[in-house]
Amino acid sequence: MALLDASALLTPLLESGPDDRYFDYCLQPYRPRRSWRARLRPENLLWRSLAVGGVLEHLRPPLLALQAALGKDMTVWGIKWDGHRLFWEIYVYDPDKEDPNATLEGIARTLTPWFEVLPRPRESIPYQMVSFDLDASVASRRTIDELNLYLTGGPGHAGRSYKARATGVELENTYRFLDAKREIDQILPLLKASVFVDYGDPARLSKVLIPELYACRTICVAKKRLRDGVYFSGIAVEQLLFFLRRFGYPSAIIDLVARRPGAFEHLFFDVGIDYALDGDVMTYPKTSFYGTL
Amino acid sequence: MLTHKGRFDPTRFEDLTVTVDFHCHSACRFCIVQEGMNLFKGVSEDKLRAAVADNARSRRYRRICFTGGEVTLERKLFDYVAIARASGSFEHVRLQTNGRMLADMALARRLLNAGVDEYFVSLHGHDAATQDNISQRPGSFDEAVRGIANLAELGVCLMTNTVICTLNVEHLSRVVDTVQPFRPVRMEFWNYLPMEDYADERDLVAPMSKVAPEVRRALGKIRELGIEGRVKYVPRCLLGDFAEAHDDSQPDVVIAEKFYDAYPQFACLYEAKCEHSDTCLGLHHPYVTKFGWEEGRLQPTPRTRPFVEPEDGLWVGSDRPGEGMADALDHPAWRALVEGVAPRNEARLSAVRLTRRTCSFLFEHGDSSVEVVLSARDDGAPALTRTPSFNIHYRSVAGPAREKLASIVRDAVKTIGERDPGGMVLDRRKGLVGDEAARRRPSGRAD
Repeated sequence: MALLDASALLTPLLESGPDDRYFDYCLQPYRPRRSWRARLRPENLLWRSLAVGGVLEHLRPPLLALQAALGKDMTVWGIKWDGHRLFWEIYVYDPDKEDPNATLEGIARTLTPWFEVLPRPRESIPYQMVSFDLDASVASRRTIDELNLYLTGGPGHAGRSYKARATGVELENTYRFLDAKREIDQILPLLKASVFVDYGDPARLSKVLIPELYACRTICVAKKRLRDGVYFSGIAVEQLLFFLRRFGYPSAIIDLVARRPGAFEHLFFDVGIDYALDGDVMTYPKTSFYGTL
Repeated sequence: MLTHKGRFDPTRFEDLTVTVDFHCHSACRFCIVQEGMNLFKGVSEDKLRAAVADNARSRRYRRICFTGGEVTLERKLFDYVAIARASGSFEHVRLQTNGRMLADMALARRLLNAGVDEYFVSLHGHDAATQDNISQRPGSFDEAVRGIANLAELGVCLMTNTVICTLNVEHLSRVVDTVQPFRPVRMEFWNYLPMEDYADERDLVAPMSKVAPEVRRALGKIRELGIEGRVKYVPRCLLGDFAEAHDDSQPDVVIAEKFYDAYPQFACLYEAKCEHSDTCLGLHHPYVTKFGWEEGRLQPTPRTRPFVEPEDGLWVGSDRPGEGMADALDHPAWRALVEGVAPRNEARLSAVRLTRRTCSFLFEHGDSSVEVVLSARDDGAPALTRTPSFNIHYRSVAGPAREKLASIVRDAVKTIGERDPGGMVLDRRKGLVGDEAARRRPSGRAD
């Protein structure tokens, strides 16, 4: 992992303001838990993670350009961690195709000074959201080789993601978004319908449906090509701290929250884990948490 | 969203528990205030006097319970009991004790004469080998049993408590055999809560496959003997025919707020499915992590009412030993805040629910209803409006008469605003005492 850019950690923290808007990782609005006054914007976590990953200088300008083009709080970021390396995914929603800056072409245009976006799937695909990954190699290569297109259309908030490359498009993952409490009868069989995890051990479900995260609004069950995933949406800052510690995120990211949990108390967060069994041991090849920019 | 499953217990805020200090001559392997022994100070006399004076004004609490540590070791206990009794504002004064010091009949008699009328005595084993192993103090069983015998002889209200763990789970009904000659009013069984050892490295958390049948067996024996039974932290649906013994409530506790930072949180997969999820906490997180969610073992009672994400634990009834649950106290000072609103709107004020955190007024108009909720004034929290003492919002809107309900809410908000004198106390904190109640950690130890 790249060395920490210590000077970047000293960047002044961005405070919440009266014009801030509050969206979850599906860009669904929520009412903040507390007043915004004297509290911090979620994007501070993104900037801190980029600094920790050593790519703040390279990635902050294009992300600020996206923020300016799409509007404050209209871009979702995901911070991903595999236990050794940080990487990021940026999500742009525009299901009704209202904003020319949120189209594939518009995003590519905004990023042009920094990145060439190579995949150009047809704009008429009924995607709800498009995303792309960022990491140190993308920053140095200066090309975005893959886009992720998220489509829905089915009942029960079903979704699919497709990986788009210059050479074509292929199915990647499927998703179901369910009410964590009211739709538990659907969540359990969906989780257990797995080729990657044997739920014969009764305690194993608790390594996936983690009790500390279950107090949330929405659970998303994901089926991926090489593993399963589960996402907990609408958790509080105390649960985010649990999550960051549980999965061993870099201390500089944990500290940003742990030293001032009250500064993030107004927000709800979303987190996700990818998981699979390695022998009898549950492993988490990737975890992630989300906010808006 | 965090609910009371994650953060709050069902509440019994008619009882005030005061932690006198944190010394003990036993060393129970599962002690819930083990960390507190080193780090928490007891409640100062000033704090006690303030709490008692507040109760003399508000009459919020019916009972004061002194605990520790082992409270009978504290010299100031008699002063504290005297302060509580002198206020005249408590119907009962209870001790929560390991009973060992009460083997001294003179002390037991002195406490009774001082005004302690209820005794909640811990006994974790049916015999000396089990109890002394748990308490890590040889002779503790014999002393506790002599203490219980003395209390029985004095004819006080006697209750026992047994913490269920791997070391005694197979002997619960034998504990009943040991205790029953002393005719306690009630026997309680509290499933072990790990306060620090979330990974259960001490191997004290017992699986429900063992706990539930043993608890049911003990409850069956208790029922035959005419003794009241109570069970905490075992899901209600696992108690079978003894579900009425379920009681996950806890009183208001005057203790360092930090105590609750370590308090285990609970969850149940069937929260939205089960009729009893408002009062049943489900399983604590360390249990779920060790043994799983028990999704096949738990048997939720189908709901007759729609699930509403709870904001706080519910009030669950007065604690009247030997009489089961009783109705709540009336709260005239709080009821007066909305007096007249219901008749002006052809509605009925069907409940006034006062907890330390909130006061809610349930208004019904035909088949429609709405709850107007007061919480402590907090300018940083969302609110419909604020008065000098309160944030006000409404919830649980049900039924078709939306315009009428809106009119009721408007009237209630206006009326409360006019009548709130300021200084009416609600408090969202659990422990009531801040950092001043924590001792400085020894140097060199990380905070």
